[in-house]
Amino acid sequence: MTEVSIELTVNGRARQATVPPRMLLSDFIRHELSLPGTHVGCEHGVCGSCNVVVDGRAVRSCLMFAVQVDGAQITTVEGLAQGDDLHPIQQAFWEEHGLQCGFCTPGMLATAQELLAENPDPSDDEIREAIAGNLCRCTGYEFVISAIRSAAAKLREPESETVLQPV
Amino acid sequence: MKPSAFHYERPADLQAALGLLASGDDTRILAGGQSLVPMMNYRLAQPERLIDINRLSELDFIRDDGDVIAIGALARHAAIKASPLILKHLPIIAEAYDWIAHAAVRNRGTLCGNLCHADAASEMPAIMQILEADLVLSKVGSSRTIAACDFFVGVYETVIAADEILTEVRIPKPAPCTGWGFEEVAMRRGDYAWCTIVAALQLEDGRITAPRVAMAGVEDCAARLATVEDAIAGQAPATRLFGQGADAAAEAAAPTDSATGNAAYKRDLMRALLPRVLSEAVSRAG
Amino acid sequence: MSQHLKSNVIPPSRQREVPRTGLTWIGQSMKRVEDPRILSGKGGYIDDITVPGMAHAAMVSSPHAHARILSIDTSKAKALPGVIGVYTGEDMAQVVDPCPSFASPPITQHAMSVGKVRHVGEVVAAVVAEDRYIAEDAAELVEVEWEVLPANVDLEASAAATGDAVLHPDDRDGNVALDERFSFGEVDQHFAEAHIVVKRRLRWQRSSAQAIETCGVVAQFDPFKGGYTIHSNSNFYNFIPFVIGGSLRVSPGELRIIPVLTGGSFGSKVFNHKIIILTAGLARLAGVPVKYIEDRLEHFTNSDSHGSDRLYDAELAVAEDGTFTSLRFTVTDDYGAYLQFGVGTHGNAMAQVTGPYQIQSFGMRVIAVLTNKTQQGPYRGFGSEVTNWVMERMVDAAAEELGKDPVALREQNMIQPDQFPYMIPTGNIYDSGNFQKVLAEAKSMFDLDTWRDKAAKMRADGRCVGVGLATCMERSVYGPTEWWSLNNTETPGFTLTSTPEGITVRLDPSGKMLVTLNSPMVGNSPETVVAQILAERLTIAPEDIVFNYSDSQSGFNGVGPQGSRFTAMIAGACVSAAIKLEERLKRFGAHMLQRRPEDVELRGGMVAVRGLKDQEKSFGEIALTSSFFRLSFPDGEEFDSGLETTAVYDHPLSTDPAEDRSHLGIFYPIVGHICHIVAVEVDPGTGKVEILDYAAVHDNGTMVNPRTLAGQVWGGTANGIGTTLTEQFLYDADGQFTNPNFAEFAMPTANEMPRNFKLGHVETPSPFTEYGIKGGGEGGRLGAPSALTSAIEDALSDRGVKITSLPVTPPTLCGLIRDAEQAATA
Repeated sequence: MTEVSIELTVNGRARQATVPPRMLLSDFIRHELSLPGTHVGCEHGVCGSCNVVVDGRAVRSCLMFAVQVDGAQITTVEGLAQGDDLHPIQQAFWEEHGLQCGFCTPGMLATAQELLAENPDPSDDEIREAIAGNLCRCTGYEFVISAIRSAAAKLREPESETVLQPV
Repeated sequence: MKPSAFHYERPADLQAALGLLASGDDTRILAGGQSLVPMMNYRLAQPERLIDINRLSELDFIRDDGDVIAIGALARHAAIKASPLILKHLPIIAEAYDWIAHAAVRNRGTLCGNLCHADAASEMPAIMQILEADLVLSKVGSSRTIAACDFFVGVYETVIAADEILTEVRIPKPAPCTGWGFEEVAMRRGDYAWCTIVAALQLEDGRITAPRVAMAGVEDCAARLATVEDAIAGQAPATRLFGQGADAAAEAAAPTDSATGNAAYKRDLMRALLPRVLSEAVSRAG
Repeated sequence: MSQHLKSNVIPPSRQREVPRTGLTWIGQSMKRVEDPRILSGKGGYIDDITVPGMAHAAMVSSPHAHARILSIDTSKAKALPGVIGVYTGEDMAQVVDPCPSFASPPITQHAMSVGKVRHVGEVVAAVVAEDRYIAEDAAELVEVEWEVLPANVDLEASAAATGDAVLHPDDRDGNVALDERFSFGEVDQHFAEAHIVVKRRLRWQRSSAQAIETCGVVAQFDPFKGGYTIHSNSNFYNFIPFVIGGSLRVSPGELRIIPVLTGGSFGSKVFNHKIIILTAGLARLAGVPVKYIEDRLEHFTNSDSHGSDRLYDAELAVAEDGTFTSLRFTVTDDYGAYLQFGVGTHGNAMAQVTGPYQIQSFGMRVIAVLTNKTQQGPYRGFGSEVTNWVMERMVDAAAEELGKDPVALREQNMIQPDQFPYMIPTGNIYDSGNFQKVLAEAKSMFDLDTWRDKAAKMRADGRCVGVGLATCMERSVYGPTEWWSLNNTETPGFTLTSTPEGITVRLDPSGKMLVTLNSPMVGNSPETVVAQILAERLTIAPEDIVFNYSDSQSGFNGVGPQGSRFTAMIAGACVSAAIKLEERLKRFGAHMLQRRPEDVELRGGMVAVRGLKDQEKSFGEIALTSSFFRLSFPDGEEFDSGLETTAVYDHPLSTDPAEDRSHLGIFYPIVGHICHIVAVEVDPGTGKVEILDYAAVHDNGTMVNPRTLAGQVWGGTANGIGTTLTEQFLYDADGQFTNPNFAEFAMPTANEMPRNFKLGHVETPSPFTEYGIKGGGEGGRLGAPSALTSAIEDALSDRGVKITSLPVTPPTLCGLIRDAEQAATA
């Protein structure tokens, strides 16, 4: 099986690699790119913990081959925070307790990114619909919805600083 | 669960793709991959060769062709769902998409890929049949057009030949007075359904004309329910009529048992959903 | 009090921090300490771990439910480029011993099967290769010859099986692994005197937690340096590593198990000894570090954490006025192919088997049956989620037979607020509670009276609408006697009575507090609750506390997050450590301030003279001086350098079972209470259930962090909704597990959750734990099934449909409706 050369942009940085065609995008991201923030939960496209953003769209990285993203722009969870600052969506998840074990969270963040880019003021029903493709066993989804609602508000307004103190 | 090794081709245009397809066997087409790749990860599918058609931009279209909406092989579910053309002329498709998988899967999956995969519980094979769509199968040097009703023959089985690609689906624009109905029951919304019923019909002087009714999920493949269509054609809509038609269809069906839903249940669903879908279609008609 | 409980004396409370108002940090919904690193993708789960030279393992698993292994040919697999080695159970048996078992007498289990397989998915060989892709290619090339044996899939048939159908002929005569009877109080008399005896046959079917992260291990073996070094997402690594070491044939000094951030457990990662022994053995055989991560199929079929799979024949004795006097049942449990935790899940249920009711006696027979399925392990509730449901079904049945309102009947039988601590017939106690307050709050939040009227009107319109209410107990902070107290008294096994939790707290000269935890983070909030408790107790700011985690060699005494124990137990350890640290801080600080220790107090991260403003020394300054300026202090060991302390906190209230098992002692006494009320609409044509409204009130004593507790309740309720409506493991007659994937094993998505779920809380503190904290991680799953079942039955009461088996999937419910219709017209 001949390996294939690919070039792509990942979290704003140009990357180049040579990969076997069968290497899944999820494995490529985690192991070849050393970005383990994207998680593998099922490898059959149901749980969504492997979701990443490819050319602006949330996709299941376990259902794509790395060779398919030649020329693409990918954002993973590692690309969200800027320096010492969490991205407003991450900040919202923190403030609203939108995660417990965190394993499904990078996938939720990818889904949220796409939703909020298309729909800056989603209703709770729209948020619920959007995350219906991300399985979570910890949260029961309620605070994930709160987090995305809050993230939407943050993205529409200037950011505010929050510190670790009683709320 | 990792796929086994395969040769990978990424042709730049349709002719190159067709040429490759004609030149070897044990080949699968990679479009959206949302059905193929899970099977490959489980090693239920182990093709020797994958032809990635995602570069064939000439196949990425949703077009108004006069009397017909033409949808190309690379049109993604998400694009079709959001297309103003679809919303205007084929709202049943937009409604069905609320029940098909989830956003990330729809971002990559294609309508044509879904039709070729022919899962017994897929909604689109049933919808294409009531819309009387034509499927264009292309190979090197020629193409042929197959009616949707003739395309699906069994579980994961269609009439497509090994050297053909489904390049386009052509859906006649329904008359504006066409009413439609859609119902499905699955364990969770987005799951493959135990039973999907779809219908399109018109009303003329208070009587049903051109009824087209189909179901998915119940038998080996999606199919038109000719007996229901015959029973209601030319009749005034009525609860009793619809109920009898549903009972007869349920009796005549040959439901498959699945891991989670048995044949008796699928008959229950036919009885419950057929009247509802027909009533919805009537209320939307005219 | 019943005679049989006279010897079960309740020890005095060891509580040091009384529950009270006016606390600064405890009770705050503080943002979690753990989140920034997790959110940034830097959490560090097991599959994120890499070590130099690491190879990857893939498994060859049995396609048969029950078979002898006649031969294994690994030659083709070994020849594949990139393969380092291929190993069978016989190879493994040269370097590892069978898995430890809590069952007594034990049921032998090998991490890699030897001679025989007993369920689909058992591992018979493994490939170690340069990557997982190649390893799976090679695994396909391993050729196994099988002699297929009869598959035991049905409970009753398996119990009667003989000959080749017996799973463990060396360990048991047949497939019944345990059959014991227990009687607590005057059961026979109460039943003889009963006005009515309510009888039900109830079935709770198999499913499992299926956390989104599977189990995994990275194992290394070096004969010259340290022996085994193992990363794993096991919860138990710090309590009994010597048990795993025993199977690995090393002492704890040659075994280092390192925890990682864990992607959810819900019980399924409590022990993980099998995958650790398996991967470690491969590392030893292969001579290279080996990573093995279960894929989802393996996690379904081989992770040894299936849930309860039970059949109950239950009876409730009721007096004429509606008082419940006695409960008894025979429970047969389909345990699967092994018995790793013995019948601990039935021991667990004994903690609260009579629910919130004043039932005077209890009897049971428990029959554990082995079958050719994956074995059971811990799963959120650990068996008492089932008995909660059984109890509530019996109460609803009694209400129906007596013609009484089910809520009033519950109120009539409830334990009263002045009766605590309350000892139930099995000997466990409920430490505190006010069930009436919880019920009132729930009824008010749900607006039960309005809903009942609304439901009646909707029914008059022809809709199948019902309302259900459940009042259930939620035990927390387990004592380990549950694991062995139901074993035959002649062979009780390892009669473990410890469940400690330890902590190390160190003050650094910069003023930061460094805390070492001895249990992993699995989605609970260990760092957050510890930060809040230490901040409360020592007046330090939470952001000045930094955490790390020990491993099995550097750490000690940590049983970990399970049985809803962690917060209450770590609170005890925090208080113990804080007492010691405060004493040292005051001693050093007072000396630096030229005062006596009794003249100073802790204030805002300082040691300060009482009543004065400027006479203070910061913790950092004190740490600096005590660490580096020994000669500034007097002689004597009380001024030994440094400000560090360790503390171990043992279970605050546990006692032994009676020798004759006339009672089981006190073993799960920190007991919360929950009330769930739900309105549903059933579509009788399709069997689909829609949740129209939902209210839950949980009393988990003093809440450390209301927001994180609410998250647990939400998640547990989602889990309970799935357990009731959609989650089931399906087997065919050959023992094939037919739906081990996320498409066909249907866990709730956001769409399946109620849209207007109202969550309330009541705080009835414990008199036994620090600050009165009780555990709350399991509760949602302990209450939702009962409330939902009750509501569905109410919705279908006109049709005479009774729900006696879970899950009630749409096909099942439609079948019940159809059967009831046919029975009605017959």
